[in-house]
Amino acid sequence: MRRLFKRADAEPLPGLDVGALAPLVDMMTLMLVFLLRSYSTEAAPAPPEGHFELAGTVSEETRKPAVEILISQEAIYVDGRRVVAVAYLPEELLVRELYDPLLLMRGKARVEVHADRTIPWSVLKRVLHTARTAGFEDLSLVAASTSSL
Amino acid sequence: MRPTLLGVVTLMFLLLFFLLTTSSGQRLGVIDLRLGSPADLAPLPHAGLIKDVRVTLNGASLTLSYEVQSTDIAAAATSVERREQVFPAKNAKPDLAALLAALVAVHDIDRSQERARLAPDDTATTETIIAVMDVIHGPTDAPLFPKVTLTGSPG
Repeated sequence: MRRLFKRADAEPLPGLDVGALAPLVDMMTLMLVFLLRSYSTEAAPAPPEGHFELAGTVSEETRKPAVEILISQEAIYVDGRRVVAVAYLPEELLVRELYDPLLLMRGKARVEVHADRTIPWSVLKRVLHTARTAGFEDLSLVAASTSSL
Repeated sequence: MRPTLLGVVTLMFLLLFFLLTTSSGQRLGVIDLRLGSPADLAPLPHAGLIKDVRVTLNGASLTLSYEVQSTDIAAAATSVERREQVFPAKNAKPDLAALLAALVAVHDIDRSQERARLAPDDTATTETIIAVMDVIHGPTDAPLFPKVTLTGSPG
């Protein structure tokens, strides 16, 4: 009780004066700016199984609603559903296993490709060609933004 | 003075806690793709001095080629000359700094040219392709060639 009803003109607690609090406020302001600048509620894309790591980019373009094609080291997924293993991709540019599900999703205007950083162009170009053949002209590649403050 | 500051600190602490718990921690960047194919109609010729900019990625080696238009005033004739620069790999990685310097020089000749083509070889990884595309595109506030087209194969 004595602490709750302490007199207003009591001596300030050591370490809680303005001189001590100002650096704390500065530090918190810096942290707030950093967090607000890097704030994101988007879940990072990840396949249901296996290792996956996005490449980095300096682009700051934001995402829009789209059909998501994820290419992991093991398989290709369309909106989270596995369609074909990377090891069994056909030699042709058109990947039939990917083409058929994409045809059913032509209501959406865009396709976003989330490719693992190690995926070679030989695989990526087949996916992009197939998406384009299925009628998707608006294609984009998603990467982890590395742009600095 | 002290109670005011304490209130600010408390509010900031709550905000920090909220941001830390709700942020996914990873921001995603989107790169719009343009794909070139033999069936496409050729774009209309560019009116500026730089006609065609092409970057080829072969392993970790980069080649920049571009066509420059020059005018012979005495002969009242224009000619187009293709120039090529090769940037060998540096520490087994593409020499992006050298490519950037060369692209800036090309961009300075004709600032109205916005298109460039990138032809990666089949072994080029997504990470390398995106890094080269970022360099060709240039910084967001001062882009070099923002319309990058990916073409099928080098040559």
